[in-house]
Amino acid sequence: MDTLLLARLQFATTTSIHFLFVVVTLGLVTLLVGLQTTAVLTGKPVYWRLTRFWGQLYVINYVLGIATGIVMEFQFGLNWSGLSRYVGNVFGAPLAIETLVAFFLESTFLGMWIFGWHRLRKGLHLALLWGVALTAYASAFWIMVANSWLQNPVGYEVRDGIAHLTDFTALLTNPSLGMAFGHVVFAALLVGGMLMAAVSAWHLIRRTPDFVLFRTSLRIGLVTAALSITMVQGFGFAQFGPVGQVQPTKFGGGPEADALVAEWTARFGQGDYTPPVLASVGLGFMILIGFALGTLWLLLPLLWRDWAIRLRFPLWLILLALPLPFVAVILGWIAREVGRQPWVAYGLLPTDQAVSGVAPGVMLASLIGFSLLLGALAVANWVLLARHAARGAADPALGRPPTQPPADTRPVPAFA
Amino acid sequence: MELAWYALLGLFFAAYLVLGGYDYGVGLLLARGTDPARRRAALNAVGPFFLGNEVWLVAAVGILFGAFPMLEGELLSGFYPAVVGALVGVILVTAGVQLRSRPAGERSRAGWDRVVVIGSLLAALGWGALLAGLLQGVPLRAGGHVAGVTHLFTPFVAAAGLAVLALVAAHGATFLTLRLPAADAEATGRLARRLVPVALAAVGVATVLGLLSERVRDTVQQPVAGLLAPVLLAGALLLARAALARRRPGLAFAATGTALAALVALVGAALWPYALVSTIDPGASLTVADAAASGPTLRLLGWLTVPLLPALLGFQLMCWWVFRGRTDGRAPVYW
Repeated sequence: MDTLLLARLQFATTTSIHFLFVVVTLGLVTLLVGLQTTAVLTGKPVYWRLTRFWGQLYVINYVLGIATGIVMEFQFGLNWSGLSRYVGNVFGAPLAIETLVAFFLESTFLGMWIFGWHRLRKGLHLALLWGVALTAYASAFWIMVANSWLQNPVGYEVRDGIAHLTDFTALLTNPSLGMAFGHVVFAALLVGGMLMAAVSAWHLIRRTPDFVLFRTSLRIGLVTAALSITMVQGFGFAQFGPVGQVQPTKFGGGPEADALVAEWTARFGQGDYTPPVLASVGLGFMILIGFALGTLWLLLPLLWRDWAIRLRFPLWLILLALPLPFVAVILGWIAREVGRQPWVAYGLLPTDQAVSGVAPGVMLASLIGFSLLLGALAVANWVLLARHAARGAADPALGRPPTQPPADTRPVPAFA
Repeated sequence: MELAWYALLGLFFAAYLVLGGYDYGVGLLLARGTDPARRRAALNAVGPFFLGNEVWLVAAVGILFGAFPMLEGELLSGFYPAVVGALVGVILVTAGVQLRSRPAGERSRAGWDRVVVIGSLLAALGWGALLAGLLQGVPLRAGGHVAGVTHLFTPFVAAAGLAVLALVAAHGATFLTLRLPAADAEATGRLARRLVPVALAAVGVATVLGLLSERVRDTVQQPVAGLLAPVLLAGALLLARAALARRRPGLAFAATGTALAALVALVGAALWPYALVSTIDPGASLTVADAAASGPTLRLLGWLTVPLLPALLGFQLMCWWVFRGRTDGRAPVYW
């Protein structure tokens, strides 16, 4: 096994795990802002309870988002030192901006939000959540700016073999950025909405006593998911035009792709410049899932007079469909990232020139170690998430008044 | 301009070592508490600050990548074992602290606490090894890449790792003395006072090994800064001990924090004008100016981020101000 393959496997593993958690973070925080704002404005207890319940799930999910995110940030330097050496002048800037102006504040706000219940004024506490959400979106934006630059390098010139920044606005108006950012943001909302609807459906199937609460979150989740899937489809198909133009080899051959390959062969020498078939397979399956989830609209009329809950089978459908958006977002990234190969920065830096000069043994140890560590943490995190989702909204630890002892959730013995 | 960015990088990493340092110190001290309530009280003393502390590391690496792309790749891949160790530690602490109270059973919570202890240990040792590694240089070739990883395993690196571990433990105990309810702070104050001499001894051993090592003597460009480091550390630690004895935990915390921050500043100063010194080819050493991104990138980052720095600091200050004072029964408990 060579270092390149191992480094690529490690990046794919870390990124995939990272993305499964950050889509939930981005989707749920948007819904949470809606819930807490409604709670503050109307003062209705059900919205406060919803905020605490979904907030707790959000905070548990957030942990792995950070953990995997830190690993990714370090991985650029550990495994891909060629990337920072040759294109760091351009590619590093959006990443530095993301950490400084987005993630830094996001986590600071979140810490205050978690510990600010019953301690800060309601308006300030709500403002902190708004801050968390806005910085989360800013974070997603700058990451997409960086990623789009790898897909389609713009605004640079090469001097002494190293890329230098010449035009930052070109990075922001990158044709591979706009539609992709919309696609990712609504995909996150779709995942958040589906998660909310599915957890509510599970409680409604089990006839948990908290009927009003889970009925509300089922409706919010389902409407969010239905609106989002349409936007996801729209932004998704809108990408074919601009991406096909700047990355002709991404979606298979054609005269433009052949011309580009001929040009690369002249500049970089003979080589296989077609991306692996995995990219187009991922794309195909993702589109299938996207169409399947489009049927969410058919469930919306059933919200009238709670037919979705009374008939019960729609609840099962929602519950069983929960894995679909997660599978789709991973397939979407595979299509985007694998479709860029064999380049790390398309047409500028081949992947094999970006990898660090680390021995294969060290890289293998790092791959196995981090995959096991992050995999174990991800599974532990999902188990905790499932348990807390199943436990219901009776008394989440988040937002519990300080002096109140945890409620005893065990059933009361009948013959005490 | 490179110097300003280098100073900013140092500031963020030093802030991380001071703030994240007490997270890890508190994490290490979980190892001795068998009483679940006391372990939980210690973690919730860190509570609202925890998430805001680690972001300094993420931001420091962001600056490293954005403003010093040349250095980023060679530094992180050149010190692979130290960086990976620290990284694994950071992740274990992040996950462990935030998840430990989510299961209801005391046994799972104790298990997660062990994860936090191991994570804190790795993080402290890893960052100590990285700072020491900088002082002894790397086998950097002119082509750019650092060869191998075995250059890191020397007695000096091991001693420096242990010294940072001891410093962090003393720092964490001092933090708890400052933050826990007055009744519990008594015991942690005594513990902190016992840990300070351990840290002093560890710093002493690392200093002697550093002076004996030919590699370190060759690598250090500014011997004055290099020698000032242990002197300043010792002074700060003695001040911390005196303050603890006089029941002035705030002053003691400032002193242990200064010790950790001074470590970063002096490692940076001792290597100046280099950022990374090569042990095999003097021509391959990276100066700060060489390692920095080109002018347009630095200007862009300056325009976009420097006006926001007061906001970043302001929100951190707000967090410290809102949750100032000792924890009490009214404080929310979540970790």
